[in-house]
Amino acid sequence: MTSAAIEVEDLRKVYRGFRARTVWALNGVSFRVERGTIFGLIGQNGAGKTTLVKILLGLSESTGGSARVLALSPRNNAARRRLGYLPEQMRIPDYFKAADFLRYMAGLNGVDPRCLGRRIPALLEQVGLAGIHKSVRAYSKGMQQRLGLAQALINNPEVLFLDEPTDGLDPLGRKDVRDLLIRLRSEGKTIFLNSHLLSEIELVCDEIVILNKGKVAQRATPAGFTRGTGEYLVCVATASDPVRAAVTDLLGGEVVWRENSFRFVPRNLAQLNCVLDRLRGVPVEIESVEPIRLSLEEFFLRVVAEQGS
Amino acid sequence: MWTTYLNSLHESMSRRVAMVLVGVALLVAVAFDSIVHLHESAQGAATIAVGTQPPVAPAIAVPAVLESEVRATGSVWLLLAIFAAAPLLTATLEKGWLELTFSKGTARWRIFAGRFLGGLTLYSLTFALATLPVAARLWWITRVETWQIGVALLIQTFSFAALLSVAALVTLPQKGVALPVIAATALWVLSPSLAKRQETYYQLFSSHFAREVVDWAYRILPKCSELEDLCVSFIQSDKIASWWPVWSTGLFMISILGLTLWLLRRKSF
Repeated sequence: MTSAAIEVEDLRKVYRGFRARTVWALNGVSFRVERGTIFGLIGQNGAGKTTLVKILLGLSESTGGSARVLALSPRNNAARRRLGYLPEQMRIPDYFKAADFLRYMAGLNGVDPRCLGRRIPALLEQVGLAGIHKSVRAYSKGMQQRLGLAQALINNPEVLFLDEPTDGLDPLGRKDVRDLLIRLRSEGKTIFLNSHLLSEIELVCDEIVILNKGKVAQRATPAGFTRGTGEYLVCVATASDPVRAAVTDLLGGEVVWRENSFRFVPRNLAQLNCVLDRLRGVPVEIESVEPIRLSLEEFFLRVVAEQGS
Repeated sequence: MWTTYLNSLHESMSRRVAMVLVGVALLVAVAFDSIVHLHESAQGAATIAVGTQPPVAPAIAVPAVLESEVRATGSVWLLLAIFAAAPLLTATLEKGWLELTFSKGTARWRIFAGRFLGGLTLYSLTFALATLPVAARLWWITRVETWQIGVALLIQTFSFAALLSVAALVTLPQKGVALPVIAATALWVLSPSLAKRQETYYQLFSSHFAREVVDWAYRILPKCSELEDLCVSFIQSDKIASWWPVWSTGLFMISILGLTLWLLRRKSF
C-alpha cells in the first residue's frame, strides 16, 4: 500500500502520420502521484494531456516507457475497476435515464447490483440530479456533466480521472464540484485533474505538472508557485508629487507607479524596512505593504514562455 | 458481456429502425396468417388454401407455406436487420462514448461481442416474430409438424452473423454506419451470383486466373443464398442436403469476428 497511485516513467507516445510524419505526443514524461492527493495536469492544447490520460486509462498504448495505476498496468481490467473517469467530450446516448445509465456503467465496472439500490439515489443526490426522471436527451450541458461525474463515482473508485469536470457548470455548480473533490480527498481518494480552468486547479490541487510539447515543463506545489516573486506592492494614502519625488529619490528609476501604489524589488528585507522608515519620515502615509505572488495562470504563462512554446 | 448485451437490446428498442423491423415483422405475420385458409373437403378431410390457390392436403400445404415465409422474409430480413444492427456496433466506437465504456473494468472485446450478440438477437427475434406465429397456428390446426421453421431460423441467424461480422470489421477503421452497411450488403448481393458463378462470372471472364479468383471468393465468402436454399430444402425434406455452406460460412464468421475482436483489443484510441 506504499506504492504511489500513479507512476509514470519515461513515457513516450509517437503518432505516425501520412508520409512517415511523426508527432511526439509524449516525450519522456515521468512523475508520481501520491495516494490521497489532488493532482493537476495543465498544458496548452496539443501538449499531450489527453494522450497521457488515455494511456493511464488503458485507452491508448504507449510507444515506450511505463505507466502504472495502483501498481498495475492500465490495460488490466482489475485496475480499471478501481478507477473512475469523466472524459471531456462525453456523449451519453439520449435514450438513457440517469438511473439506467448509472446501472449500466456500474455493470461495466463489475459493481454488485445489490449495492446499487442505495448507491444510485445517493450519487444522484450528491451531484444534484435527485428526483429528475427524464431521459438524457432533455438534459442541459450542466446536467449531463453532473451525470458524468456520478458515473465516474459509481464504483467508489480509488483514483478518479477528471477531464474538465466543471465544463458547462455555473459558478455554484463549480463550487459544488470543488467541495466534492476536497471531500473525496479527505476520504483518501486520489484525484487526477485535467483542466484549462487554472483558477480551479489552483484552489484544490496539492501538486501540479505543466506539460509542454509532450514533456514535463515544471512540477510545483501551490505553495511553490505562489511564493513571493521578490516584488512588493506599497499603497500610499496620496500619491502627490512630493511623495512620488521622495520615492524616486529613495529607489531611483526602478519604481513602477499605478495610481496610489508602486511596486519595487528590494534587495533584502532590511532594505525594504529601511525604505519604509524613510518614507514615513518624509512623511508619506503608508496604507499597506504586500509581497506580490504569482497566480497559477501567471506561473503557467511564465513557464511556457521560458520553455519557448 | 451480459451487461452490454442487455444494453444493446435496450438501445435497439430506442432506435426507430429496430421498431420499424418489429412493425414489419408483425405485418408479415398478420399477412401470412390472413392468406392461409382452412377448408374441409367433400370427404370431410381438412385442406388448406393459400391465397387464391385451390385447397390441398395439409401435409403439402404446410411446408409450402413455411417455404414461402422463409423466401419472403429470409433475404429481405437479412438486409433490414443489417440496417438495424450495424448502428449498434458503430455506436460502440463513437467518440465520447467509447471513452466512457472502454475505460471501465470490462474488456473491450466483451463489450463489442455483447453488442454483436445483441444485433443477432434483434435479427432472430424479429424473424421469429414474423414466422413463428403462422407456423404455430398451422401446427395447431393441422398437427403437421412445423418445428423445421426453428431450424430455418437458426440457419438464417447464422447467415446474418456472417454479414454482421463483416460490418463489425469495417466499423473499426472508420466512423459512421454507411460503410459497414455497404460492406455487408455487398456480400449479400454477391452471394447468389457467386453460388451460380458458372452462369454469371464465367461468362464474363475467360482467363483461368480470373475464374480461380472467383472460385476462391466463393469458397471464402459467406454463402447466404445457399443457406436460404438449405432452409427451404430442410423444411421440405427434414434433411440438410450439404453441410458445405454451413461450415464454410461458420469458418468465415468466426475468422472475421475473431480478427475484429483482436484488432479492437490492440487498437489505440
